[in-house]
Amino acid sequence: MSTVQTFLAVSGDAAAFFRMGGYAIYVWPAYALFFIVLIADTIAPRLRRRRVLRELRARLSRQQARQDRAGGNSTPLSP
Amino acid sequence: MSNWIPLWLHKLGSPPTFYRFAGTLQPWAMTLALLLGAIALYGGLVLAPADYQQGDAYRIIFIHVPSAEMSMFIYAVMGVAAFIALVWRIKLAEVVAMESAPIGAAFTFITLITGSLWGKPMWGTWWTWDARLTSELVLLFLYLGVIGLYHAFEDRRQGARAAAFLAIIGIINVPIVHFSVNWWNTLHQGSTINVFGQSKMSWDMLWPLLTMMLATKFYYAASLFRRVRTDLLALEGGKDWVRKIAEDEAKS
Amino acid sequence: MNRAGLLAACTAMLRRDLTLAWRRRGDIAMPVLYALIVTMLFPFALGPEDTLLQRIAGGVVLVTVLLAMLLALDAMFSSDIEDGSLEQLVMAPQPLALMLGMKILAHWITTALPLIVIAPLMAAMLHLPGAVIPVLLLALLLATPLLSLLGAVLVALTAGTRRSGMLLALMLLPLCVPAVIFAAGAVAAAQQGLPWLAPISWLAAALVLAVVLAPLACAAALRIALDA
Repeated sequence: MSTVQTFLAVSGDAAAFFRMGGYAIYVWPAYALFFIVLIADTIAPRLRRRRVLRELRARLSRQQARQDRAGGNSTPLSP
Repeated sequence: MSNWIPLWLHKLGSPPTFYRFAGTLQPWAMTLALLLGAIALYGGLVLAPADYQQGDAYRIIFIHVPSAEMSMFIYAVMGVAAFIALVWRIKLAEVVAMESAPIGAAFTFITLITGSLWGKPMWGTWWTWDARLTSELVLLFLYLGVIGLYHAFEDRRQGARAAAFLAIIGIINVPIVHFSVNWWNTLHQGSTINVFGQSKMSWDMLWPLLTMMLATKFYYAASLFRRVRTDLLALEGGKDWVRKIAEDEAKS
Repeated sequence: MNRAGLLAACTAMLRRDLTLAWRRRGDIAMPVLYALIVTMLFPFALGPEDTLLQRIAGGVVLVTVLLAMLLALDAMFSSDIEDGSLEQLVMAPQPLALMLGMKILAHWITTALPLIVIAPLMAAMLHLPGAVIPVLLLALLLATPLLSLLGAVLVALTAGTRRSGMLLALMLLPLCVPAVIFAAGAVAAAQQGLPWLAPISWLAAALVLAVVLAPLACAAALRIALDA
């Protein structure tokens, strides 16, 4: 049985594979949902990481600018 | 002699060390997850024969059962991490517990929907108030409660500790719900549906299932590492090691 | 801390909370009114058919009481958090769990007890047979303190947050499922002439457990939620 199916799948009977024995409308949405949810779960932290780093860099550059201004106006107390 | 294990653990628990450790392991875990997942999908969708009773509809099992298992496995991990976070106040444990919750919620959601999609052709209904299904639904609400409580606080660490407490309450709650729904089902002698028959699975169907279970474990590890790394960056924003990472990434 | 001092502190706590509740009597009436309105709407929605209403009466009364309690749950500690007296309580020499237990008792007396008093009326509106009403009252007497105790832990957890109404409902739902099942199960069993002692016993066991553990959990939760 298994070898027959393998043969069918390998020999390119893709239509039967996608038909899923008549249960295609149940099987494929389930698999689609599985992948959509997991891909979303993979992408969300990546986007968040980019945002966190962007905010961090903005804060750092603000700090840097403030330090430069303070350093230009007054003579530093320590070398 | 016995001191080096706590020392090693203590070092791993420090955010910069864990950040590097997770960064090294994350691509490997993801690669393994994708590889095993592809093998399992090929085995499950192509190689495995159709079930003599359920036809091809049973093939949902290869994502439904691993997801259901992950939904409980992740809750257990979250509970252990929450316990460690509350008792020893380790920052990393808080982060692990809170970043596990969305992944667990995702798997619980997948379990419920795929179960529904499997139940419709097999039992003729999208939903039945069976103990197993109801417990899974309650689990989703527990996950959502933990996530909601975590985000309700302005102070992240305080929120993490409150949500960790809720996660531990939830661990006690799940078996009680399962027991009470079982009792409830015997009272209301409704349409009892045997969710999983006693039929033994053949090896052709079993190996893709087990492989998929392994793949989802690796996926969880990869996703957790990625989330924990991001969260550590956000939490430790002012520290030198984070500043260095931010500057290095700007250059590249 | 000697026993007499502890007892005095408990009664003082209880009296204070009850006095405060009495000064705002309108707030006590709100959940009662809410429960009556919800119960009244069911016959309009489902039709005045006796048999149907009888079948759902027990469950409707229980769920309505639960929702009415949820409505009042949010306010359990809110005024004490606003004026800072809860923080005083955390630092007081008396055991926090005991004091919170008294607060929970006061809250149960002011919100759940009025609901239990009008429960026979709600049941009568839905034509619940008179013989079942004692079982319904017994189930409510055991289930409502359980809900108050569980709710108190969650309210304590959300003490440090601003708006928590919907979140509280989300968190309470998984915890209250067993209580609802056993309370409604007892009423349904009594209605069908089946023995109803088993679910009542389960409820009582859960209540005993909650009376011991919930104040301790509530104290721990409050400590987490209040100090950063």
